[in-house]
Amino acid sequence: MIDIVFIGLSFLAISGAIAMIVYANPMYSALGVLISMLSVAGMFALLNATFLFMVQIIVYAGAIMTLILFILMFLNIKEEDLPKEPKKFQLIAIGAVVMIPLNVLILEAVSKLPAKDLSVIDSDFGDIKPLGKVLYNDWILAFELISILLLVALIGSVVLAKKRKSRLKDEIDPQTVPTSSQTNKGEQL
Amino acid sequence: MNSSLLVWIILAPLIGAILNGAFYFYHIKRNKVSELTFSLIGTITPLISFLITLYLFLQMYDSGVIFKQHLFTWLNIDKLNIDMALLGDNLSIFMSMFVTFVGWLIHIYAIGYMKGDEGFGKFFAYFNLFLASMLILVLADNPIILFIGWEGVGVCSYLLIKFYYGNKDNVLAANKAFIANRVGDFGFILGIIVLFFAMGGVNLSFESIESNLVGVEQSLLILGGFLLFVGAMGKSAQIPLYVWLPDAMAGPTPISALIHAATMVTAGVYMVARFHFLYIEIETIGLFIAYIGAFSALFAAIIATRQTDIKKILAYSTMSQLGYMFIAVGLGFYSTGLFHVFTHAFFKAMLFMGAGGIIIALHHEQNIFKIAQHRASLPIIGTTFLIGVIAISGIPPFSGFFSKDAILAAAFQEGQYLIYAIAMFTAFLTAFYMFRMYFILFVAPNKHTKEYVYTSKTITIPLVILAIGAIFAGFLNLPSVFGGEHLVDTWLGQLNSKTIHLSHSTEYVLIFASVFIALAGIIVAYNKYSNFDVYKPELEKGFIGNKFFIDELYDLLFVQTTKGISVFIDRVIDAKIIDAFIMGSSNTFVNIGKFVAKIQNANVRFYAATMLVGMTCIFVYIYSKLGL
Amino acid sequence: MISLSSYAFVSMILFSIGVIGVIARRNIFVIYMSIEMMLNGVNLFLATFARYHFNMDPQVVTVIVISIAAAEAAIFLSAIILLYRSKKSLDTDIFTSLSQGEKS
Repeated sequence: MIDIVFIGLSFLAISGAIAMIVYANPMYSALGVLISMLSVAGMFALLNATFLFMVQIIVYAGAIMTLILFILMFLNIKEEDLPKEPKKFQLIAIGAVVMIPLNVLILEAVSKLPAKDLSVIDSDFGDIKPLGKVLYNDWILAFELISILLLVALIGSVVLAKKRKSRLKDEIDPQTVPTSSQTNKGEQL
Repeated sequence: MNSSLLVWIILAPLIGAILNGAFYFYHIKRNKVSELTFSLIGTITPLISFLITLYLFLQMYDSGVIFKQHLFTWLNIDKLNIDMALLGDNLSIFMSMFVTFVGWLIHIYAIGYMKGDEGFGKFFAYFNLFLASMLILVLADNPIILFIGWEGVGVCSYLLIKFYYGNKDNVLAANKAFIANRVGDFGFILGIIVLFFAMGGVNLSFESIESNLVGVEQSLLILGGFLLFVGAMGKSAQIPLYVWLPDAMAGPTPISALIHAATMVTAGVYMVARFHFLYIEIETIGLFIAYIGAFSALFAAIIATRQTDIKKILAYSTMSQLGYMFIAVGLGFYSTGLFHVFTHAFFKAMLFMGAGGIIIALHHEQNIFKIAQHRASLPIIGTTFLIGVIAISGIPPFSGFFSKDAILAAAFQEGQYLIYAIAMFTAFLTAFYMFRMYFILFVAPNKHTKEYVYTSKTITIPLVILAIGAIFAGFLNLPSVFGGEHLVDTWLGQLNSKTIHLSHSTEYVLIFASVFIALAGIIVAYNKYSNFDVYKPELEKGFIGNKFFIDELYDLLFVQTTKGISVFIDRVIDAKIIDAFIMGSSNTFVNIGKFVAKIQNANVRFYAATMLVGMTCIFVYIYSKLGL
Repeated sequence: MISLSSYAFVSMILFSIGVIGVIARRNIFVIYMSIEMMLNGVNLFLATFARYHFNMDPQVVTVIVISIAAAEAAIFLSAIILLYRSKKSLDTDIFTSLSQGEKS
């Protein structure tokens, strides 16, 4: 039973990922990613990581992907604004070939690990409470730093995306962007 | 005491030149200096030289002593020993006598000729410098010092030809003179070097060369003698290096008179006479010299029959007479040739000065037909001109007859009948063109009434003095056939020149033949030109009128070729090969750098891909090493 | 029985697809989502190890990674808005003003 669930979830995850890199329209890619994330959340649940399961759905699928979809719609992208990618499939194929050695290496390494006994587990493995205990006892520094990081990200995103009315030079018209011939003159010997 | 006077012959005009130059600087920078100052300095110094020379001459005449003065040792390196020394033997004093005398007269003439010219002081400075250089040449004790004077007269000739440098043609003519002389000087230097090595490196004075000449192999002597004569070809305007002489008439007339008639152009003849001990050994070169002289004489005479510029006619006649001199020295008759130098100096200088007087009187008009159209009455100049023309044609008893006849007799005696024939024909042509000039200038009828133009005394008095010389100088070397005593020949006896010893009857025949030829020329000229219509001038057309197109030929052969080669080297070799190579190698490095810099193209995906490929290689390596 | 190797296999596939997406696609959104995919794959790997080696630490790390991904999302998407405003295009190949050769 678990095996079928696992196979289904993994199939969904992988196909969602493939959908992401194949489709040209970013909306379709975003939906593919969404499916993949939900499947991964399911796999977390299979692994007794219940808190992770929830966090994955809430943060990843719920917040981050939603944000991406919002930005996609905010920018109002038309078909012709999308970059033309003529060699997409060739590059994907080449990339796949290039990634094979890494995969082979890691899988072989992992398969050589000593097998552990899986039978007896605590009933509250993966719950919030044990996780919180480890988090606040062993990983307190990382926790604090994460909070600062989130603060910085909050302020940074507001600052970056603000529309600047007075400083016109920040909005560079693509027409006046210096071309290569003009900027190379200063570099000639 | 007397020997130490030798250097003052040279120093007097040299100091005059320096003084005049300094005054001229002052004249143009600060205050005006009067022409009188320049004239005084310019004419007193040649007079001093002449007086010293006269004094030494009288001493030598009395006691037969030779003056030598050693000034200082210039170079003493291993075997090369060059002394700055002066030699005053019979030949030097002989040359120096008439050089200083005629030079002095022409300096006086120049006062009147250059009057009002703003470069007056500069002219006299250069003129004195020229005289100093010529005297260095004549009084030198070894060929190197002679060469210093040789170059010096070349430089002064250049400076004076381009005296009116506002007109570019004059500067070009001066360049031509200097360059043609340079070609000759190159031969001269090579000749000296050959002699130096041929004799195994001895003291280079004339005496030591003379004594060391035995035992040197003939081919080296021939080479040396030929190369030295190349220098003479340039300096004395013989074929093929004569092209500068007609163009040199662009300078003021006093310098044409002094430099290109009496002194500088005779330096070549002097040099051959000075090296008499060498040329006696190599008779083939001597014959070559004689033939060059003969052909130059003929060539120049033919061209002169068609020229219309008064000074150019005189220039070609100078070249022709120089040819005669070379015939004489080439055949070994050194004193005969030098005697012709002597008489030629008088009448040619006089002819040039007369021409200058005419030119000034008619406001710088030089075409003989235009002069004839506006003819003025110039009695003294006309008379002296006539005397000069008669003298150069070889009519007895004027001086030209004696010297020219001696040369003809020499050619005949040596059995060189071709040279004799050429020389006789040239004598005919000489009489023809000189009288053509005279008749057109003074005799052919024109429609003006002649008005008398005053010429200043500084012009006329030297003319008269030279006329006396032209008439009577011949008697200095009266041959025995007339009962004379060969004074010049005996004076120059050191040269071991050949003498004329034909039988008296042969001599009378030859004399009659030469006089007859000259008179024939005069009669032909009279028939053609005494009633010539000067309003229809002859033009310089045709093969002869264009001087056989030699100038154009030289231009094509040498100037255009050199220009073409240098343009080729500049455009092709320099720009395309050498520059391309150097710039190309530096550009190659720059381009390689630019090519490599394209890797940094700020494309993040490209960077990520590169990193991935690198990591993959590492993973493959680890995988193979781990042996999993 | 699902072994560790199976989970490892899935997570490596996800990770590789993320890497391929970064290299092969030019659309900046797809690149961002590929980065998130890579993080996802790594999270899965960590959770697997937590389960099979009976340790809570990898799960804590996973939580930390997820929160970092959230912060990164904010900044990244603000940057995308900025870039779109200035270049009016979503093509990453034209953001090359730092290059030595061709510049845009």
